[in-house]
Amino acid sequence: MSETTNTAASPSDHIENQELPDSGYLLLAIETSCDETSVAVVRNGREVLSNIISSQIDTHRQFGGVVPEIASRKHVESMTLIIEEALREAQVELPDIDGIAVTQGPGLIGALLVGVVAAKSLAMALDVPLIGTHHIAGHIYANHLVGDILYPAIALVVSGGHTEIVLLESEGKFRMIGRTRDDAVGEAYDKVARALRFPYPGGPYVDRLAQEATEEVVLPRSWLEPDSYDFSFSGLKSAVLAEINRSRMKGETPEFSALARGFQQSVIDVVTGKAIKAAKEFGARQMLLCGGVAANKGLRTKLTELCAEVGLPLLIPPNKLCTDNAAMIAAAADMKWRRKQFSSLDLKAEAVMSLEEWSV
Amino acid sequence: MSTQDRTGNSESNPNVTILAFDTSTAAFAAAIVRDGVRLDATISFTERNHSVKLLSEIKELLGRNGLQGKDLDAIAVGQGPGSYTGVRIAVTAAKTLAWTWGKPLIGVSSLEALALGAWSELRENGTDVAELGERAWIVPLMDARRGQVYTSRYLVDRTGSWERADGDGIRLIEDWSKQLGHQAASADGKGSPSVWFVGEIGATQQTAIEQAQLETDVRLRTLACEMSAVAVGQLAGIRYRQGERDDVHGFVPNYTQLAEAEAKLLAVSRGE
Ligand SMILES: [Zn+2]
Repeated sequence: MSETTNTAASPSDHIENQELPDSGYLLLAIETSCDETSVAVVRNGREVLSNIISSQIDTHRQFGGVVPEIASRKHVESMTLIIEEALREAQVELPDIDGIAVTQGPGLIGALLVGVVAAKSLAMALDVPLIGTHHIAGHIYANHLVGDILYPAIALVVSGGHTEIVLLESEGKFRMIGRTRDDAVGEAYDKVARALRFPYPGGPYVDRLAQEATEEVVLPRSWLEPDSYDFSFSGLKSAVLAEINRSRMKGETPEFSALARGFQQSVIDVVTGKAIKAAKEFGARQMLLCGGVAANKGLRTKLTELCAEVGLPLLIPPNKLCTDNAAMIAAAADMKWRRKQFSSLDLKAEAVMSLEEWSV
Repeated sequence: MSTQDRTGNSESNPNVTILAFDTSTAAFAAAIVRDGVRLDATISFTERNHSVKLLSEIKELLGRNGLQGKDLDAIAVGQGPGSYTGVRIAVTAAKTLAWTWGKPLIGVSSLEALALGAWSELRENGTDVAELGERAWIVPLMDARRGQVYTSRYLVDRTGSWERADGDGIRLIEDWSKQLGHQAASADGKGSPSVWFVGEIGATQQTAIEQAQLETDVRLRTLACEMSAVAVGQLAGIRYRQGERDDVHGFVPNYTQLAEAEAKLLAVSRGE
């Protein structure tokens, strides 16, 4: 970690330049874009001192999905408690905090608002800078918490709400080269899981069932146009549903595990295939896997194999840093912190937000 | 330090300075109230999204009065009811500021603040209770859509008393205004009270009240007015002096009703 070491006087020495204490600087980050209330304290942008994640999953399970109004209510209930817990676990005090990072978007607007207002209140009350942060930049830079990133890099972002291939030409410069045209991978997993009668959220069940399966119902691969890095999973999801219906019409029990396997193989082939192709085309020196679905074993295994075949270094954060968490938000915000690209106190939460425009 | 200084009562602590704000309605209202008196206040309607300007407005309000967080005795906030998102914004800010500055948090009913603010306005305008009878009912209204209002009822009289008669709830304005008209007409004792509907009086509310007027001899009056952050601070000041504090972590908005998904789930579990 050499980037924070102060060697010669920087040419960009700024009048506001705060002196860095010996221990470095501390960012407190807040993430509330969906159903997780998370607060982290991160030192020098890379050392996670605490990363508290309060999941509302037990609440939303009874509704069969995330209910935005209830998610927002829960965030208000736990916000200050989680901040307190993050500080306690990091063994730091409020006055030690040098800056506040917060997920500005994209996400559920009502949920984002709670985190944004709490972050602005903290920044105002402590009189420290505020950094509004892009949620997907957070997922990508979770990788910076586990290793050095070599540029250019290709990031494969797979989560409940996102399926994207992002090119990073240099640090903090994002170029979206592929995205889903309908369902996100995580969404497709949850819908298929429901058809296979798994409780919400069913993604991990499908993954496990696919791993255990001895047979596979081969399902179509949706490659779209030959030069496209976009995705589409709605056809695949429909194919699974059609297969289940056909079995039932014939009075048979659907082959759930073989279907789960077929679905998983189709998804994995397409997302890893496109990611590797993008890496080749853009001369990537590294592959980054991130987002909640990065916890999927089948996906991890396949991408690891493919990257090894072409000699491309691969980073995958541990599960806790793949699902929504605040440490990743601090990791992304750190790029702006080091460049003194701070947000105004009038920061606005955005349900829809461009990653490219958020570039440093 | 004298023993009196340690009791924390009003004599030993003459200057109680409270930062108060509310975002339960279309207004963002903030005030600094010292010993029950308005020191400064701000109100804005520019953005329905109160989260944008909230903190910079509070910063500006404190700054222009030469105040810092440490100078405050408490943070007061309108706890709702009102717009779900709106109430969450003020409550989240109040919780976080109170926790960060280590100051007491005092929640008050947004409806009560709306009612008290209206009452103050009526008196400032020279509307005398005596002229209206011995006592009056102050009925705050906030539009809750589909003919509904968030509302409650307060009793006031010429001695200056202020008493809650009906708690915060969501009601149909049509039924509520008729009910109050009949109730006021049949109120025994010192004669009928005058009835004031105050706050958000839109076309729906106006029509319902006019309809209700046809069924009662008691005069039903209206006063359209905005949320008063000064009233939030005054009500909080009373609680503060009584030693009441809210638990910062546990404090949540008063939505007055379950979220729609919860209500549906409850109905299903009851077999409805
Ligand atoms: Zn996410």
